[in-house]
Amino acid sequence: MKQFQYVRPASQAAVLDAIAKPGSKIIAGGTNLVDLMKKGVMSPDKLVDINSLPLNTINTSPNGLHIGALTLNSVLSENSLVLDKHPLLSMALKAGASPQLRNMATVGGNMMQRTRCAYFYDTTMPCNKRTPGTGCGAMGGYNRMHAIFGSSPQCIAVHPSDMCVALAALGATVTIAGKKGERHIPFTEFHRLPGEHPEMDNHLATGEMILGVDIPDNNFSKNSYYLKVRDRQSYAFALVSVAAALDIQGGVIKEARLAMGGVAHKPWRLFDVEKFLAGKAPTEENFNKAAQLAMQGAKAYEYNAFKLKLAPATIAEALKHAGGLA
Amino acid sequence: MSDKKPIIPPNGEGISNGTRRDFIKQTTVLTAVAMAPGTVVKAASDHIDEQIAAVFEKMPLKMEVNGKLQSLSVEPRSTLLDILREQLDLTGTKKGCDHGQCGACTVHVDGDRVNSCLTLGVMVNGKKVTTIEGLAKGEELHPMQEAFLKHDGFQCGYCTPGQIMSAVACIREGHANSEGEIREYMSGNICRCGAYPNIVNAIQEVKAGGKTV
Amino acid sequence: METLTKQAIPTSADGMSRVDGRAKVTGAAKYSAEYNQPNMAYAVLVGSTITKGTVATIDTKAASAAPGVLAVLTYLNSPKVPGHIPTKAQKPGSKSGPLKVFYDNKVLYNGQPIAMVVADTFERAQYGASLVKATYNKEPHDTKPPKNITQGVGAWGGKDFTKGTVDAWKTAPIKLEQEYTHPSDVHNPMELHAIIARWDAPDKLTVWDKTQGTQATRDDIAKAFKLKKEDVQVNSQYVGGAFGSALQVWPHEVAAILGAQVVKRPVKLVLSRPDMFTSVGYRPYTWQKIGIGATADGKLVGITHEAVGQTSTFEDFAEGPINTSKGLYASPNITTRYKLLSLDVNTPTWMRGPGEATGAFALESALDELSYALKMDPIDLRMKNYAKNDPDNGKEYSSKFLDEAYAMGAAQIGWENRQAEPRAASQNGWLVGYGMAGGMFGAYRDVAVIKAIMKADGTLTIQSAVSDIGPGTGTAMTIIAANKMGIDAGKIKFEMGDSSLPDAPMQGGSATVSAVGSAVHDACTVLKEKFQKLMGNGGTDKPDYVKILKDNNLPSLEVLTKSQPGPDNQKYSMQSWSVHFVKVLVHTATGVVKIDKVACVADCGKIISPKTARSQVVGGAIGGIGMALMEEGIIDHRYGRYVNNNFADYHVPVSADIPQIDAMFVNKPDPYINPIGAKGMAEIALIGMAPAVANAVYNATGKRVRDLPITPDKLI
Repeated sequence: MKQFQYVRPASQAAVLDAIAKPGSKIIAGGTNLVDLMKKGVMSPDKLVDINSLPLNTINTSPNGLHIGALTLNSVLSENSLVLDKHPLLSMALKAGASPQLRNMATVGGNMMQRTRCAYFYDTTMPCNKRTPGTGCGAMGGYNRMHAIFGSSPQCIAVHPSDMCVALAALGATVTIAGKKGERHIPFTEFHRLPGEHPEMDNHLATGEMILGVDIPDNNFSKNSYYLKVRDRQSYAFALVSVAAALDIQGGVIKEARLAMGGVAHKPWRLFDVEKFLAGKAPTEENFNKAAQLAMQGAKAYEYNAFKLKLAPATIAEALKHAGGLA
Repeated sequence: MSDKKPIIPPNGEGISNGTRRDFIKQTTVLTAVAMAPGTVVKAASDHIDEQIAAVFEKMPLKMEVNGKLQSLSVEPRSTLLDILREQLDLTGTKKGCDHGQCGACTVHVDGDRVNSCLTLGVMVNGKKVTTIEGLAKGEELHPMQEAFLKHDGFQCGYCTPGQIMSAVACIREGHANSEGEIREYMSGNICRCGAYPNIVNAIQEVKAGGKTV
Repeated sequence: METLTKQAIPTSADGMSRVDGRAKVTGAAKYSAEYNQPNMAYAVLVGSTITKGTVATIDTKAASAAPGVLAVLTYLNSPKVPGHIPTKAQKPGSKSGPLKVFYDNKVLYNGQPIAMVVADTFERAQYGASLVKATYNKEPHDTKPPKNITQGVGAWGGKDFTKGTVDAWKTAPIKLEQEYTHPSDVHNPMELHAIIARWDAPDKLTVWDKTQGTQATRDDIAKAFKLKKEDVQVNSQYVGGAFGSALQVWPHEVAAILGAQVVKRPVKLVLSRPDMFTSVGYRPYTWQKIGIGATADGKLVGITHEAVGQTSTFEDFAEGPINTSKGLYASPNITTRYKLLSLDVNTPTWMRGPGEATGAFALESALDELSYALKMDPIDLRMKNYAKNDPDNGKEYSSKFLDEAYAMGAAQIGWENRQAEPRAASQNGWLVGYGMAGGMFGAYRDVAVIKAIMKADGTLTIQSAVSDIGPGTGTAMTIIAANKMGIDAGKIKFEMGDSSLPDAPMQGGSATVSAVGSAVHDACTVLKEKFQKLMGNGGTDKPDYVKILKDNNLPSLEVLTKSQPGPDNQKYSMQSWSVHFVKVLVHTATGVVKIDKVACVADCGKIISPKTARSQVVGGAIGGIGMALMEEGIIDHRYGRYVNNNFADYHVPVSADIPQIDAMFVNKPDPYINPIGAKGMAEIALIGMAPAVANAVYNATGKRVRDLPITPDKLI
């Protein structure tokens, strides 16, 4: 790891000053950034430690539930408001990483974590995300963990987070601060698809920072489920994961929310499938239909074709759990 | 010094006691570079920023390790794991992967279990660190250490300090209520010898014993 | 099936706790990288980024100028290793042998060390290493096993073996032929391989090194650097797992010693986890084909077992995947063929249950397939073909109670709940399946020397150069000595892990207790007799050692005893046996496999140390679960480079994957192998576990997975 400058500003304004230059990176938990710096994948000149900022709050607000960007994944997963209002988020958090990592990783950092693609991690391999213009190593390589939705000829990496899949499903909003002030964007529009610029994971601009996320109140708490399929029972990235949330009233799905992880460059929200499920009965047949509908536009590569079968199976299973059928 | 700041990065506000290296040492190094023979100067000049930075970029780190205050000067890139093992000779904390993928480096920072390999030392400034060496009270082993001995919660012993630090935290966090819950909350610690069932038994025994851990 | 009776099974708390347990739970146990020396420097290796060719240029300027860097070694400036046999002097056409580090500009595999940076701190060495830049003359490489693997296979892994008629299985009324593949698995012990090298004088060297044999390492280093054996001191007090990866001296060890020579300071070199995939061997990719046939009532007619194992282009590594087919069942006709496939990879090595674990996966899967074809219970099929003498050579077994092991395991797992038809049982959306498989491994005894010293305070010190990779050698030795001498285990100190101590074999092949344990037994017998003689009149069976020493005005009494195998070790076929029973749950929709219940039984003679023996069987079973369900070293063959060389992507089991494992022992002493009646158990604890899982998965799903590992994608 190359040497870098480390600062720990005491105020938000000072942080925004410190991150104004492109070589600066915010560090919070460090679980992903330090990992990548050790591998030489990222080599910032300056680390701006934001842990002095009062951003580790969880509280109810007019917008629903506000979660500060510095809230630890472990704390969030056990928070009584979260368990009560958004158990889906707790389930997703607990499915991610390990207890130690969740004790370090923050909400903002989780959103900013980068792909686990092996070609991204190995600086001797081609990777457009790491080094634009070098090509995509995964495209013709070992792509078992890679995207089946929304990829581009430049990049087929997936976003590795579990938490973000739940937040996408729950329709959260992200609050971002920059020198010009604050802005709010839907969580589903925070991360981006690779397109021509896979080096950009999300829409956070240089000099901006995440302040927190807000989850609007909902009626999903009784009928939600996070299902993660992986190569071992814990401490592994998803082959496919599904966040399913249903608002069931009088035996009818009033509103459905569905998002997938491990299948795209961003948490993959299934708006069309949600529309399909709205107004239908929570039956196995409808869930299976929904699962098939979700696969429209899916595209597999040499080693991840199994996801075309696994993804709908996981969706149907998650919906069954959410709907109380399993 | 203070009016010639550009060469030295400003110290973080969060770090107490903004003093960096003393002036004498800085001038010594600068003089040495200036007076070195041509080839050395050439080599140094290629990386002069780096050379100077290497000296100046050390930062003070004060932390309490196993109840003892440690005042160190470290590079920001040094991890807590490497500082413990290489500078403080606390080698009970192990390096198994250096990337947060095995849990052998697990320590408690302010009471919470973390991977010390992904923790920059400078970020632990002002905090309390407990390692495996700080768990026993003198000759009296911690109940978890006793239970690991009794249930043979290890073979080679290399993952053991991390397992024990994690196991203690597992109970403290309230995640030891069933065998299944223990297994899930101990999954951040890999044991290649395969002592998992024994470790689960050890944790269950300590939990059932009801002692404060 | 005979009537099965359930027995009380050992628990994790039974038996004496480890003698080194306190050191391990307090962090006091020190492993090779933890003997920091004054003025020590740190070394980090730079690996090649191509797979085959030559280094054209190597730019070390930036690295050399980086702060704290003391030296950058490459083939251009490294001191020569005097023991390296010049490539030119080697027989034409023969492989060049183990990699000679920093010897020339040839690149033989991806990740091969081409440079090493030594600096005053680890961080600076690591950064320095990132600055070394090489250019290459690339040549086309081949790391991928070909489709028609038996064609074009050059090197031989041994002579073809035939008992009876060649390929007789083809004549059987019920027969099948199937191919099985096993990927490369990596040992990945938790402790990274590490060495601290310190030159005490130009001709005197001390190393703290991760090794399974302090003296073998000493001898190899002495040979490489043309030093006298007595001038090389190897310390390996604690070894954080190895499973075979520390059975030889690897290039990084030589590199660290060279580094220490250059910078004239002690040098520490710790491999990174990615280095562990390319520096210290692995279980090789192996293709296998089994042809097996039986009469309608299940009597085997013949077995043909073919195998092709991966090796490197510069070194042949052969193991015994076909051994199990030679010896596990009483087939009148057995044919085996084993060949090596040379690829542009680093050389494989022995990994727990070497060869046999791979072979048992094929044979025991095929047996299971045959049992379904015969509509016969898999245990009945095995009992029908139970070998009473060694089918390989006709020798009588020194001891074999595998039939009892079958019965014990079947009772414990609840075999009666197994459905004869696959995919016939389910619960809550999970298919339920039962499977079993067994294994065998040769039981050996080597020469060992023990020094035993009884001191005036009544403490007994026992010394051996043996190192312990985790099975609990010190504990077992202490128990043997305590029993023989009739003293409390707490009074015994077992000193080990030091090449200057009395001769011991390497810790490999499950033979430590047999060799060193027998030597402890023999030494204590002689020592006790000495005391009894001092007492006169033949003495009593329980001498008062302290009193005798005092009465005779002696500060201590010691013996140095050499212990070796006798004629019985040649006369009998000596094997350890195991059987594993597994109950799995397979999720119908997602293909996720959960191990629900495991029962393992080992027939490995007398159990010396119940607690550590049980742990070894449990650990072996977990290793087998990893092999069955998740382990696979993956190379992108376009680059010849690993793409999962870390613990996040190369999966080994975590706690959530593993249920309680019932580990049992037949525990009947072998009367011939050695004076203590104990046979090895480390290998058999793993051998047979992977096929047991695969067989259970078939029973649950009706899907036969013949290509390990059994990941969810293969079951949906």
